[in-house]
Amino acid sequence: MSYFNDIKREATFIAKQKYRVAFVLAAFVLSVFAVWSGITETQTQHATIARLLEKDHTDRVNVQSHQSDFGSAAYYTFHLTYAEPSPMAFAAMGQRDVFPWKHRIRMLALEGQIYETDADNPELSLVGRFDYAFLISVLMPLFVILLLHDLRSGEKEAGRFDLLTVTTSNQRALWLTRAAVQSAALGVAIMLPFVVGAIVTGASALNVALVVAITIIHLAVWTTIAFAIGGIKRFASMNSARVASSLLGIWLLITVMIPVAGDTIIKSAVQSPSGGQIVLTQREAVNGAWDLPFSATWDEFLATHPQWADKTDMNSLFEWKWYYAFQQVGDQTAAPLSSSYREAIQRRDKLASYIAWVSPPMLTQRVMTAIADTNTHAMMAYEASIRQYHADLRQFYYPLLFNNVEFSVDVLNDLPSFNKQGDGVKSSQP
Amino acid sequence: METIKHIFTDEWRYWQRTKLGITVLLIGLVLTLAAVVVNTMNIQQAAFERKQLQETAEARFVDQPDRHPHRMVHYGHYVFRTPSQLSTVEPGVDAYTGTSIFLEGHRQNSAIFADQRQSSGMTRFSSLSPSFLLQILAPLFVIIVGFASVTREKEAGTLNIMITQGLSLSQLFVGKYLALFCGSLLFILPVGIASIFATLNGEATVITLGFFVGYCFYMAVWCGVVIGISSLFNKSSASFASSISMWVLLCILVPRIGSSTAAAIEPSQGKLEADFAVLEALRKLGDGHNAQDPAFAALKANLLAQYDADDVSELPVNFRGVVAQYSEQKLTDVLNRFAEARMDTELAQTQVSRWFGWLSPTVAIRTFSMAMAGTNIETHHRFLREAEILRFDFVQSLNKVHADHLDYNHDVNRYKNEDTATAAKVDASHWQVLSSFSFAPAPTMDRIQQSLSAATQLLFWVLLTVGFLVVAIRRVKP
Repeated sequence: MSYFNDIKREATFIAKQKYRVAFVLAAFVLSVFAVWSGITETQTQHATIARLLEKDHTDRVNVQSHQSDFGSAAYYTFHLTYAEPSPMAFAAMGQRDVFPWKHRIRMLALEGQIYETDADNPELSLVGRFDYAFLISVLMPLFVILLLHDLRSGEKEAGRFDLLTVTTSNQRALWLTRAAVQSAALGVAIMLPFVVGAIVTGASALNVALVVAITIIHLAVWTTIAFAIGGIKRFASMNSARVASSLLGIWLLITVMIPVAGDTIIKSAVQSPSGGQIVLTQREAVNGAWDLPFSATWDEFLATHPQWADKTDMNSLFEWKWYYAFQQVGDQTAAPLSSSYREAIQRRDKLASYIAWVSPPMLTQRVMTAIADTNTHAMMAYEASIRQYHADLRQFYYPLLFNNVEFSVDVLNDLPSFNKQGDGVKSSQP
Repeated sequence: METIKHIFTDEWRYWQRTKLGITVLLIGLVLTLAAVVVNTMNIQQAAFERKQLQETAEARFVDQPDRHPHRMVHYGHYVFRTPSQLSTVEPGVDAYTGTSIFLEGHRQNSAIFADQRQSSGMTRFSSLSPSFLLQILAPLFVIIVGFASVTREKEAGTLNIMITQGLSLSQLFVGKYLALFCGSLLFILPVGIASIFATLNGEATVITLGFFVGYCFYMAVWCGVVIGISSLFNKSSASFASSISMWVLLCILVPRIGSSTAAAIEPSQGKLEADFAVLEALRKLGDGHNAQDPAFAALKANLLAQYDADDVSELPVNFRGVVAQYSEQKLTDVLNRFAEARMDTELAQTQVSRWFGWLSPTVAIRTFSMAMAGTNIETHHRFLREAEILRFDFVQSLNKVHADHLDYNHDVNRYKNEDTATAAKVDASHWQVLSSFSFAPAPTMDRIQQSLSAATQLLFWVLLTVGFLVVAIRRVKP
C-alpha cells in the first residue's frame, strides 16, 4: 500500500510541473504522427501492389495474345515480383526505401535486370522517415535525458534536496519512484498510439508484445543510465546542465559515434566487388556469344543442364533455345562476382549486428526491423525469391523450347506464379 | 568597442577555465576535420573507381568486333556518375541514388547500385559526412558551450554589477554573441579548407564561397537562438533544457516530419507503375524490330514514293534501318514525356519536404548546401537526362549506320547461313559513334538559382534570430 501511495504522490508532484507534462504530451503527439505516417505509407504500398498485380496481368495477357512462339513469348512477357509490407512494417520502414520491394523481370539474363531499382525519392530517403522505430531508438533516449537529468540536482537547485533526504526513510526508493513514474508516463505516451496502430493493421499479438517489450527494455536502459549517472558521487556536486551534458555525451557516443565508426570499420573490413563489374562481365558474356561458335555456348550451358545434351542441334543461325542458353551462360559467368557482392552485403550486415550490441539504439532499430521484416536480411530474402522465381521460369520454358513444342497460348496458363517466399522467412538475428 | 572585446576575451577565458567549453569546441573541430578527411578519401576513391569503369565501358564498346549494327544497340553502354567537387563536404543524395545506368535501345533503365545498399545499414540516422556534423551536431555543441552565457551572470549576480557599472546590455550581448560565433566557426574551419581545395580543383569561387557563407549563417542562427534563450531564463538548467528541446525539434524532428509528410501527401507513382502507361503508349507505335508492322505502312509508302521504287528492296537505304530510326525517335518522345512527368512528381514531393525550411533552419541549410554542392535530386535528374541524351545519340547513330551501310537484302537474309550472316555485319570502325561521357554538376548560375529559395529561408532565419535577440535583450531582468 505504501508503494502505491509513493507512486501516487510522485505522480501528483510530476503532474504539477507543466513542462514535464508537456514533454510527455509531445512524445504522445509524435508517436501518433509516426504511427499515422507509417500506416499511410504501408497502405500506399499495399494499394500500389494491388494495382501493379492487375496491370501486370492485363499486360501479360495482352502480350501473350500477340505471340506465335514460346521464345518470343518469353522475350516479351514481364513478370511482377513484390514484397508486401508486413503488418508491422508501419512501425519500422527499415531498408524498404533503399532496397526495392517491387520488380518486373523476364527470361533474359537475370544479372542484367536484378539491380534495377524502383527506389523512393532519394532526398526523402536521405533525411529518413519518422517512424516508430526511429522514435524509440533515437528520440526516446533524448526525452529520458530531458526528463531525468535533474532528478537530484533539480531538487538541490530548488533548495529542497536536504529536506527531502531527511524526511524520507529510503532515499534510493524516493529517486527511483520519481524516475520510474516519469519514464512510465513517457513509455505509455509513446506505446499507446503504436498499440492502436498495430490493432488497425492486424499485427500478430506476439509481435506487438515483442515491440512493447523492446520499447520497455530500451526505456529501462536509458532510465538506468540517467539514474545511475545522476547518482554517481562525482556528479553529485554538478548542476543539472552539466549532468545533462554528460548524458548527452553518452547519447552521442552510442547513438552516433559507435554506428559511424562501426560503419567505417566494416566498410574497410569487408571488401566487395563493385556492382559495375558484375553487369559489365555479364554483358560481355551475353553479347560475346553472338560472335562465338554455338559450341562455346552449349559447352557452358550443358555443364549445368546436361539433360538437354542431345537437343542442341541448330536448324538456323538463330534459335530461341540457343538465345536463352547464352543468357543463362551470361548469368553463370557473372555468378561468382554476383554472389560475392551479395555475400559482402550479408557479411557487413552480420558485423553490424555484433556492433549493435554496444549501441542499444542501434540494437533497438535492428530488432524492430527484424520483427517488421524490413531489415537487410528480409530484403535479401526478397531478392533470393526473385532469383528462385526466375529459375522457375527457366524450368518452365526450357522443355518447351528444347522439345520444340508447338505453340499454344493455353500452355502459358501454367506459367509459374510468383509466390512470396520472402514473406515466410523470419529473420532471427537482430 | 573596447568593452565588447573585453567581454569577448572574458567568455573565451571562462571556457578555458571550466574546461567544458574548450573541450566541446575541440571535439567538434576534431570530428569535422576527421569527417572531412575520411569523406574526401571516400569520394576520391569513388570518383576514381567510377572514372575507371566509365573508361572500361567506353573502351569495350569501341573494341567490339564487326557486327550487325542492331546487335550494338542491344549491347548497349554503361554510364557512371562521378561525384561533384563539394560532395567531399556535402555528399547529399549520392549514396541513395544509383551511380550507374545501362543504356540500350528501346528502353530507359533506372540508375543502379546505390551505395547505401552496400553499407552496413548503420548510417541511416547519422553519418560521418561533414554535412551531418555541421547541420545536426554542431548546433548541439554550440548549445553545450553557450547555454549559460547569460544565465551564469544572472546566477552569480554579476549581471547586476556590470549594469550598475554602466555596461550597456547590447554591448554585453554583442560581446557574448561574437565569442560564441567565433567558437562555432571552429567547426566550419575544416569545411573552409575543403572549400578552398574544391576551388583549386576547379569549382567556381562563387559556389564555394557561397557554400561557406551559408554555413556561417546557419551557425549565426544557432548562436542567436542559444544566447537568446539563455537571456530569457534565470536558471542555467532551464536555459539548457529549453535549448536542447529546441535542438531536438529543429534538427531532428522537423526534417523527418517533413520527409514523412511529403511521402504521405504527395505520393509518387514509382517507375514500375508508370512503365505500364508507357507500354500502353508504346504499343500504339509498333515494334521497331518488325518492319512489316502496319504502324510503319505510311512511312513505307512515303519512302517508296520519294525514291520512286516499287519495293523496299529497291530503296537506296535499308528500310529496316529506317524503321529502327523512325520508331526509336517516336518511342523516345514517349519515354521522355513520361520520364519528365515522373521527375516532376518527384520534384513536387521534394518541394513539400523543402517547404519545412520555413519551420527549421536545418532543412533550409540542407537544401541550400545540396543545391550549391550539386548533390541534390535535381543533379540526379540532370544525370538521368544527360544519360538519356547519350543513349538516344548513340542508338540513333547506330540506326543510321544500319540504314546507310547495310544492304537490305543482306539484312533480311542474315540468319540463312554463315555467309549471309557475315554479309549482314558492318565494320567495327562504326562503333566510334559513341561519344565519351563525363558527368559534371549543373553550371554555376543554375546551382545558385536552385539554392535561392533555401537562401531566402536562411535569411529569414537570420532575421528571425535578430528579432528574437532584440526582444530577448529588452526582456532581460537582471
